[in-house]
Amino acid sequence: MTTVSTVVMADTFTSASISYSALMPMLIVFVVALAEVLVAGFATRESRHALQVGLSLIGLLGALAALLLGARFHQGVTASVADAAGSRQLGAVVVDGPTIFLQAGVLVLALLAVLIMSERLGGIGADAFTPMGAANPGSVQERAAQRAGLTTSEAFPLMMLAVGGMMLFVAAGDLLTLFVGLEVLSLPLYILTGLARRRRLLSQEAALKYFLLGAFSSAFLLFGAALLYGYAGSVYLSEIASAISAGQPDREVLLVPGVLLVLVGLLFKVGAVPFHSWTPDVYQGAPTPVTGFMAACTKLAAFGAMLRVVYVGAAGDRWNWSVVVVVIAALTMIVGAVMSVTQTDVKRLLAYSSIAHAGFILTGVLAFDVTGVSAVMFYLVTYGLTTIAAFGIVYLVRDVQSGSEATHLSQWAGLGRKHPVAAATFAFLMLAFAGIPLTSGFVAKLGAFGAAVGHGGASGAVLAVIGVLSSAITVFVYVRIIVMMYFTEPAENAVEVVSPSILAKVAIGFCAVLTLALGIAPKLLLDWAANASLFLS
Amino acid sequence: MTSGSEAVLFWILAPITVAGALGLLFARKAVYAALGIALAMVNLGVLYLALGAPFLGVVQVVVYTGAVMMLFLFVLMLVGVDSSDSIVETIKGQRVVSLALGLGLVGLLGSVIGQVSVGALPGEPKSVTDNGHINAMADLIFGKYVWVFEVTSALLITAALGAMVLAHRERIGERPTQRAWAARRVRTGEHVAGLPAPGVYARHNAVDTPALLPDGTASELSISRVLAARDQIEAPQGYAEISREMEQEITEGSTR
Amino acid sequence: MTNPYVPIIIMVALGAAFALISVGTSLIVGPKRYNRAKMEAYECGIQPTPHASGGGKVPIKYYLTAMLFIIFDIESVFLYPFAVAFDRLGLFALVEMVLFIVTVFVAYAYVWRRGGLDWDY
Repeated sequence: MTTVSTVVMADTFTSASISYSALMPMLIVFVVALAEVLVAGFATRESRHALQVGLSLIGLLGALAALLLGARFHQGVTASVADAAGSRQLGAVVVDGPTIFLQAGVLVLALLAVLIMSERLGGIGADAFTPMGAANPGSVQERAAQRAGLTTSEAFPLMMLAVGGMMLFVAAGDLLTLFVGLEVLSLPLYILTGLARRRRLLSQEAALKYFLLGAFSSAFLLFGAALLYGYAGSVYLSEIASAISAGQPDREVLLVPGVLLVLVGLLFKVGAVPFHSWTPDVYQGAPTPVTGFMAACTKLAAFGAMLRVVYVGAAGDRWNWSVVVVVIAALTMIVGAVMSVTQTDVKRLLAYSSIAHAGFILTGVLAFDVTGVSAVMFYLVTYGLTTIAAFGIVYLVRDVQSGSEATHLSQWAGLGRKHPVAAATFAFLMLAFAGIPLTSGFVAKLGAFGAAVGHGGASGAVLAVIGVLSSAITVFVYVRIIVMMYFTEPAENAVEVVSPSILAKVAIGFCAVLTLALGIAPKLLLDWAANASLFLS
Repeated sequence: MTSGSEAVLFWILAPITVAGALGLLFARKAVYAALGIALAMVNLGVLYLALGAPFLGVVQVVVYTGAVMMLFLFVLMLVGVDSSDSIVETIKGQRVVSLALGLGLVGLLGSVIGQVSVGALPGEPKSVTDNGHINAMADLIFGKYVWVFEVTSALLITAALGAMVLAHRERIGERPTQRAWAARRVRTGEHVAGLPAPGVYARHNAVDTPALLPDGTASELSISRVLAARDQIEAPQGYAEISREMEQEITEGSTR
Repeated sequence: MTNPYVPIIIMVALGAAFALISVGTSLIVGPKRYNRAKMEAYECGIQPTPHASGGGKVPIKYYLTAMLFIIFDIESVFLYPFAVAFDRLGLFALVEMVLFIVTVFVAYAYVWRRGGLDWDY
């Protein structure tokens, strides 16, 4: 039996080299989120809403400024250590062109989402969120909370935490950071989904579904990360790439399952078929501004992370696994487009449309070329802008009697006559979703399909054809909404478009104008995306 | 193979672990199932310690047995210890399909992992004696993953926010103090001296039994409304003969 | 030198013997006079109910306590390697750990201020 022997020391501890200016945008977002948690605890009930919204806007703007003025010039790996050979730095966080572009995208979209989310419609707190999440739906207590002026001001810190997670997610240089980023962005979204003011049961059901399925997908991602660690002996994407190019004959079998399981986790987040079943329920149940935020920013973050995993980590072995993703992309486009035809609820319709869009974006990812990266990034930003505006308008269309959102399609009949501005904007956004020329949707689809045809080989060409056909199907859906709004007699039950505050108007207007501007003169953003499309490995 | 003492330890712990796991599967009551998992997990923790992985062993006990099991038990308490799952399939054939797919996934991954021969991995810590593992762990947490470690605190904050938002019912308005109650009683002039206390009897310190008014009728006011709503009120008449019955029981008990 | 586990085994044996002897002695020596009231479960001055009301459900309130426990439990998991390796890690790790703890205590302060710890609400 050995007794207490001398403690064998490992090598002396070396701390990682951290560039705080590169991390500054994320730091700002997290610190502001902390401050908002304190506001939720310590500020008076009346002042909470204003403080939360103000802090969120300042935080997001500050992070954007720090990103564009500071972090841009500190590109490289950070929180890094030297690899075993000492030849290069391995970073948990990689700040490179795509990271900067996508983080800026997340921040801008989140900023617009906050503006819509903060809409009070004359109430005390944000109109989208329940006054008391713990009260039973429809109970006396809920009404009492409503009368007493309670608000769920926690929605804002939760959203900031999600934004921070998204920013980490797109910058993750290793699989563990990727996993933590995924959880940090997902958990607040699960909670936010369950906080809708109206149709509480639907909202709670959506939150539960999202949480359970999300937990499953996280487990898949973690399992895949474990297999990849077994394969490469490292969780760093760049080391996995080196291991792939060096070849690991005795562990080769781990690679493809590992990559695919990691991708399952990411494909779940973007809502690709067959991991899409949560999307319609969650989009419908969540508070509508949260749906907009989720649809735009989660998609952007998840595709950003997917780009990095695929292009930096697993591209060397793509011949062995990409066929599965090609099938998923094709299925996603077809199922998303076909299912959107049968929908009668606007939010569910937009959910299936977002599934179809996930397929289009996936087509761009599968180009395996820098043009694919820039096309995907451009697509994500333009789709995000259009989506936030679209859900923003859905949020404002209300049933006159109950004050709840009129999401059934039949209720939208004749909206064009009574509310020409809102209807025209929505119609224009639908055209952008459909990819009609002179909208940003057209440029984005052109880029994604062009990259697929140009660099994706035969499968890319097939996917592009499926994409064009699916787009044609979705055009029918979008045009049907427009016909409904303009050429149908108004329904019996009266529907109105409530007038929001100037902030929400500005946000929706800004998104719509950019959707037009990026359709007419996309060059600036396209150039930026092209310049920012090289991953640091 | 393992050393003698380790083999002894293994053969003691392994059957208990398996018994705990089987208890999870076959226990009728959810609480017993949860305790079964706890047993299996503690034993796994001890096995990890014996295998020279102290961090994993401690985390297994602290996090899984401590935290996760605690949460399981709380959830059981929330849904009610007596409640059982509805086993009606809402989608026909769902269970068969999910079982088949699950087994397929297990088979696929099992066959994949079975084919691998893993030698020494490059990432393995150099020293595994004494505190080497934990030191290596600390090097990772405060070395290359320090930023991720800090971000993890965001998860903990989210958990706290989520629990509060979804489970905490904030008090609406001030809670009346005793003074306020007294003032209200005096103002309204009803029950100025407070409500009558419930009946107190020889054997029962009986909050569930109404006090008797001078004319022998029960006083409704002396009983908590909650108990009345639950239908847990006892009739006071039964206690009249109580002392005789008690004497009987005591003599009966001492001869048993 | 004897095996270092011998004292531990003696200690365990002593502990077990104490428990067995004290329970066993009272079983054998103690007087036993039964009456019905003694055999009943004690339930705060009301007749014991065979099944807890509401199927034995407890208020959701308890969940908050469980969640707070878990938060600090996870925090302590990180404290463990930090404490073991403290001498080697130096000031940098101390600062990081303090930041982590402060962050978690922000959540705690929030829960406390919003009445999450008040039992009587």
